[in-house]
Amino acid sequence: MALPSRPSLPKSSSEISHEDSKGFSSLRRLLLAPEQTELERLKDRLEDFRLQPQDVGRVLPDAIRLRAQQDSRLLASMIPITQEALSLSIKQSPQLISDSIAPILGPAIRKAITRAMRGMVQSLNQTLEYSMSLKGLQWRWEAFRTGKSFAEVVLLHTLRFRVEQVFLIHKKTGLLLNHVVAEGISGQGEEVISGMLTAIQDFVRDSFGQKQDDGLESLRIGDLTVWIEQGSGAILAGVIRGAPPMELREVFQETLETVQAQFSELLQSFKGDVTAFEETRFPLEDCLQAQFEKKSQGLPLVFWILLGLLLLGMGIWAVQARSDQQRWAQLLERVGREPGLVVTSVQDQGSQSVFYGLRDPLAINPNEILSEFGYTSKQAIFRLNPFMDLTPEFILKRAMLQLRPPSSVAMSWEGTNLVLTGEAPHSWIQQAQLIGPIIPGVTHIQMKQLVDTDLKQFETLKAKLEGETISFEVGNSILGEEQRSALLSISETINAIDQLALLLGIAPHVQVQGFASPEGRKEVNLHLSLLRARGVLNELALGSFRAASIEAVGMGPAFVDEALPPNGIEDSRGRQVGFRVVVGEDRVSERL
Amino acid sequence: MKEGALIHKKICMLGGFAVGKTSLVKRFVTGQFSEKYQTTIGVKIDQKSQKVDETDMVLVLWDVYGEDDFQKVRASYLQGSAGYLLVVDGTRKETVDVAGQLKALAIQTMGSVPYVLLINKSDLRDSWQVESKLYEDLARNACLVLETSAKTGEGVELAFAELAKQMLKA
Ligand SMILES: Nc1nc2c(ncn2[C@@H]2O[C@H](COP(=O)(O)OP(=O)(O)OP(=O)(O)O)[C@@H](O)[C@H]2O)c(=O)[nH]1
Ligand SMILES: [Mg+2]
Repeated sequence: MALPSRPSLPKSSSEISHEDSKGFSSLRRLLLAPEQTELERLKDRLEDFRLQPQDVGRVLPDAIRLRAQQDSRLLASMIPITQEALSLSIKQSPQLISDSIAPILGPAIRKAITRAMRGMVQSLNQTLEYSMSLKGLQWRWEAFRTGKSFAEVVLLHTLRFRVEQVFLIHKKTGLLLNHVVAEGISGQGEEVISGMLTAIQDFVRDSFGQKQDDGLESLRIGDLTVWIEQGSGAILAGVIRGAPPMELREVFQETLETVQAQFSELLQSFKGDVTAFEETRFPLEDCLQAQFEKKSQGLPLVFWILLGLLLLGMGIWAVQARSDQQRWAQLLERVGREPGLVVTSVQDQGSQSVFYGLRDPLAINPNEILSEFGYTSKQAIFRLNPFMDLTPEFILKRAMLQLRPPSSVAMSWEGTNLVLTGEAPHSWIQQAQLIGPIIPGVTHIQMKQLVDTDLKQFETLKAKLEGETISFEVGNSILGEEQRSALLSISETINAIDQLALLLGIAPHVQVQGFASPEGRKEVNLHLSLLRARGVLNELALGSFRAASIEAVGMGPAFVDEALPPNGIEDSRGRQVGFRVVVGEDRVSERL
Repeated sequence: MKEGALIHKKICMLGGFAVGKTSLVKRFVTGQFSEKYQTTIGVKIDQKSQKVDETDMVLVLWDVYGEDDFQKVRASYLQGSAGYLLVVDGTRKETVDVAGQLKALAIQTMGSVPYVLLINKSDLRDSWQVESKLYEDLARNACLVLETSAKTGEGVELAFAELAKQMLKA
């Protein structure tokens, strides 16, 4: 080192005389000033020999690089520090880390998902598109026959091309670096295939004396084509089913270039460790492309047939639904119109409609209306409470039911009255008078035009009896044969009158009136008339009266104006017996 | 080696024709043997997984056709091999010379990679023609010299296992 000798300089100069020393030192300063200061600085640094940060900073990058080239110890020693620093950093500010990895993580996840979806959607689309067609049926049969899945058969038939396998091969050793397969393809003995591909390459190259970078570009085995891309360090081979388009070549080339660029060092130093090449999976999978035949224009026949059937069905359904709707509306209208039925609400309970409301017991059975419209109790039922309909129709119906009138009686409703016309036996009229007013809705019952047939009969018999006369000889009260037989029928009449009177609840009084001619003495005539009346009364064959009464009356000489019956005979006027029936006039007229 | 690593290695079978290369590979990979001789044309490749210590390995076996007067072995087939089995037929002296030529070719193309020398058909020792003096040269750099039999399986596993181990070390 030259430096240690330099500090001796001032020492030797101090030996020079004092006068000169001033001049020397100024000269020295003049001559050596720059060196002097530089020396001072160096001296300081040597004395204070410690590493300066700026010095380390200058050499650190190079130092790291050089050391790392030498071996991996630096790397190894940095691992724990880096890991610790990283974990500390995550602990302290997780947001920072997540912010920085989010941009990578997002696309990576998206890409992985898209990749998975793409394959799935494609096969699903294919399967769906063909599952309806005639061809589809054929293929379904084929699938059944061959035991393949339908999706697989569709795929094979509609395939233009599909990259089924991709090999990434280390060029120098022929070893397989990575291998990806399309969905549904199972790879086998990839390493063997990889080796064989390389061997074939070598063979071709050797046999035809080509340069190192030339080589076989494509192979054909039946349905399969193998495309081989040569790179400097790796070979990419794709096994393709069908006829691949030339663009696929570019995809292969690009992929190979990307992989080679990314893994160039690893490819060079490859010693058989393939784990590092697992990362080539994604770029390689990009090569697993496929293209399917466009479906023939238009939709399959089966589709049209199905569509037609569907429309037809819908049409029928619509018509039916419309007529159904109409029918239902008609039913509702009919039920609403029906007397004695009051529907308050209709509720749908599942497939059944329930009618709620009221029904007069005399109204029609509503189920009859249902069946009339073609519905069953499964479709609709009635939940009706009984009530009394007070419309004339139902009042009359009820009256009819309660009174049971004979067919000769007609009933009608006028204003607020139940009007009875025609004729009926006395007993029925009596009953009607009793029951009528308590029939709901009936306040008055009018019977003016209703004829009491029993009363009428009574009147007839009465008139008949009062028209009968029995004539006698002059001055005589003896009944002849002729008179006796006439009295037989008269007896019957009187008996009938008694019976009717009993029925009518009256007590008629029958007078057997004896008359005499006006000639002769008044007392004699009176006696004679009484005799004649008694004679007739005795001769009458009467039953035991239950309602009527009878007496014989001597009327004396006949009073033509008053007492003679209208059919009295001029000749025998006076010498005869007649009949009178006396009823309490008031009571009879009251009845009528 | 990193943990969980999977190491692939290419191995060549080198030797004269009918020395039993194909038979040895078959014995090693499938455990079978056949007396029938079907000469190999070109190369036949097989693979077998092998665990060496804690490392998983896949051995890719290149069974190259045997060299004879008509066919020289192509150097390109040997390229990238991490090791090889040099096979001599114990019943045929002349296969030692062929093996010598192939060893030279191997060194030329692969550099000094580990190899195991096999004297095959050890089950036919009665008609043995090859004495150890004969293959002194061949054995010089070999990591192992073994008498093997594809027929009985003698030494086969050991030969491959040793080669795999040496290749890992290299
Ligand atoms: N006895 C016996 N026969 C063997 C043995 N190994 C191979 N052979 C027989 O030798 C013949 C040749 O065997 P290969 O394995 O085909 O020989 P190779 O070296 O592959 O022959 P090339 O492919 O033609 O070079 C066959 O008939 C085998 O049965 C062995 O260990 N013992
Ligand atoms: Mg063979």
